[in-house]
Amino acid sequence: MSSSAWWASALSEAVNGERPLPVVYDGEELVLFRNTKGQALALEDRCPHRRVPLALGCVVGDAVQCGYHGWIFDGTTGACTAIPNLHADERVPPRYAARAYPVAEQNGFVHVWLGDGEPSDSLPAASYQPRGREFTGSAVVSLQHDEYLAVMLDGPECLIDFEGVKITDFFLGDPIRRENHLVLDRGAVWTTQLLPANFVVDYPLILRTSVPLVGGDIRVDLLTAEERLICSVFVASGANRRRTTSLCWRGFMHDHDVEGAPLRWRAMRAARRPPFTVSSEIDGAQIAALLVAPSRDLTVLRQQSRIPATAAV
Amino acid sequence: MQTSTASNDMAATEAQGKKRKPRGDWIPTNYDLRDTWFPVSHSRDVTSRPIRRIIHAQPYFLWREGGQPMASEFHPTQLQSMMGAASALTGGSGLYPVVERYGYVWAWYGNPDNADQQLLPHIPFLPLDGDIPGYTQRTVRFDAASALSVENLLDLTHADFLHANTIGDGISESDVVEVEWTSETVTRTRIVTQKSVAPIMRWVGGVRAKYQDFRAVLHVHLRSNVCISYPRFRPGYDVPNLQPFLPVGKHRSRCDVTFNTTAAPSPFRYLMPRINYIIQPQDNSVVRPQNQRYFEQPEQRDLHSRFDAPGTRYRLLMEKLAKRQREGDFSYGSDADPGRDIAALLGMDG
Repeated sequence: MSSSAWWASALSEAVNGERPLPVVYDGEELVLFRNTKGQALALEDRCPHRRVPLALGCVVGDAVQCGYHGWIFDGTTGACTAIPNLHADERVPPRYAARAYPVAEQNGFVHVWLGDGEPSDSLPAASYQPRGREFTGSAVVSLQHDEYLAVMLDGPECLIDFEGVKITDFFLGDPIRRENHLVLDRGAVWTTQLLPANFVVDYPLILRTSVPLVGGDIRVDLLTAEERLICSVFVASGANRRRTTSLCWRGFMHDHDVEGAPLRWRAMRAARRPPFTVSSEIDGAQIAALLVAPSRDLTVLRQQSRIPATAAV
Repeated sequence: MQTSTASNDMAATEAQGKKRKPRGDWIPTNYDLRDTWFPVSHSRDVTSRPIRRIIHAQPYFLWREGGQPMASEFHPTQLQSMMGAASALTGGSGLYPVVERYGYVWAWYGNPDNADQQLLPHIPFLPLDGDIPGYTQRTVRFDAASALSVENLLDLTHADFLHANTIGDGISESDVVEVEWTSETVTRTRIVTQKSVAPIMRWVGGVRAKYQDFRAVLHVHLRSNVCISYPRFRPGYDVPNLQPFLPVGKHRSRCDVTFNTTAAPSPFRYLMPRINYIIQPQDNSVVRPQNQRYFEQPEQRDLHSRFDAPGTRYRLLMEKLAKRQREGDFSYGSDADPGRDIAALLGMDG
C-alpha cells in the first residue's frame, strides 16, 4: 500500500546548500539540500555504491557527495556524475544513480513526493498562510505516526500546549470530514479563570484540530467562541524509524485583538513569548490513559484512503 | 594463485555485469566460517584472571594455568559443573584447542579434531615468541560485522577520502592496484608513486619531502579475518601491522591490532599504533549505518567501480568458501597453505 502524497518533510530554513539534511517521512529515509540556485532537492539517503547515508557527505554545487568514497550524485536526477580518481576518458555507467524525488516548496515547508505516478499540484502546506512572526521547530517523538494522528484527535493536550489555555476533553460534536481531513472542535478555557472548566456554561475558546486521511499535515487552530482565529499551527508529521514520528512545525498569531483574553496572556504576547509549544517529549502514561474516541473514525477512513501502489502506477 | 590488475574500463565492467546471471547481493553479516585459528586476544591480556571473548555467539574464556594459556566455553570456576553442556566446538570437553604465537593467544573455532598448528598464518614481521613492546598493541572495536570491516580495510578509495587528514589524499602520479588470491586468501598490492606525504608521516614522522612513493600489501585470510598488512613508504618508514577482526556477532567486530613500528623513529613509533583511535571513529561513522542496511532486503544490488576490485574479489571468495562450508566441506583446498612464508609476498625483502 502507498499513501500517494506530498509530504511536508522539512522547514525551508533547515535545508541549505552546505550540509545535507537527513529526514525520514512515511518510512522513507531522505536527504535534502539546495543547489546553487537555491532550489531544494531530495535523494534517497543511501549511496547505491555501499549503502552509506548520503547525509554523512557534503553538498558540492548542485549535487551531494557521499562521505565514504566521494561518489557524486546530481540532486535533480540522482545520476552519479563523478567517481573520484577516474581517468578523464572513463565514464560512469548511466544506470549508476541514487533515487531522486520530486520536491516542491511552499509557505516555509519543503515537500517531497513519496507516492507513485505524477505528483499532484496541491501541496499540504498550501492552506497555511502565515502572517507576521512565526514560531517554528522540529522533533522526532516516540509515538507511532498513526497513533500520533489519533492522539491529535483524542487528546491534543498531550501533544501541543497553548500558553494560558486549558484544553478540555469535551468534544463539540463528532469529527467532520472536510476534503482529506477529519476536523474536530473541542472546548477550551483560559487557565486564569476562577471556576474550573466543568462550571463553564459556554467555552470562551475553541481548539480545532484537523487531521489528514492521507499524508501527515496536521493543522491546529485556537479560536474564540466567535470563531475568530487566535493562533494557527501547521504540524508536518510522518513515520520515522522504529515506530517514531518525525515532526516539523510552523505557527503564528493572528493579528487582531482577542476579546476577554487575560492580562497575563496579553503581556506574554507583547513580550513575544511563543504562544504554543509542540511537545518533543511525550508522556506515555498520559497517552495510555486517553480514551479512544473520535480517532475511531480516523482509523477507518485513513485505511480506506490508502491507495494500492499497483493502482497508482 | 590467481591475479588481476585494476582495469581502466568501467564500461567493460558494466558489460560483464550484464552478461552474468543475476544473483542475490552480498550479505556480509551471514558468514560463520569454521575450522580456523582466531587470534582471540593479545597474549599480554591473558593472565591467571579469566577474561571473556566472543566468536560469533560462542563464548571463549581465556586464562593461564602454570603460565600456559587456556580457552574454554565456560568460566573456569564452572568448567567441571558445565562439562555436560559442552558444545561440539570443544568436542564435549569444554576446552578449545589453543596456541600462543606472535604475541597473541590463538583459539580454534570449528571441529577440534581438525585443529592443526600448520594452519596458523605466517606473520613474518612479528616475533614468534611475541616479544614486542606494549606500545605496538592496541584494541579497537568496529560497529560492523567482521566481513564488512575486512572489506573496509581492503577498500582503497575510502581511505583517500575518509581518512585524508591522517593517511593523505588520493592525488598521485601513478596508482596501480593488483589482486592475487587463493581459495583461502586474498592479497591486495597497491603501488603509488609521487603521492602527497601522509599527514601523520609529515607531522609526526618528520618526513619533509612533498611527495612519497609507497607500496602497500594487504594479505587477508578469509576464514579468520586475519589481515596482514605491510605498507612501505619512501621516503618514510615501513609500518607492518596485523589487524585481526574477531567476529563478535553479526553487528560488531573486535580488532586487537599490532603495529610493529619498533624500527621507526620516535615519536612516530609510539603514535602510529594509536592512529586507530582516529581512524576507527571515522570508519565507524560509515560502517555502522552500512552494516544495518545489509539486513534490509535491497531493491538494488551494490554498485561497483574498478577501484573496488579487491573488495569484489573478497566478496566472491567469501561466497565460494561459505557455500563450500554450507555443503559440509570444511577442508582447505589444494591451493591453500595458510602457514606458508609470505615475506616475499609482502615485499619485505624488496
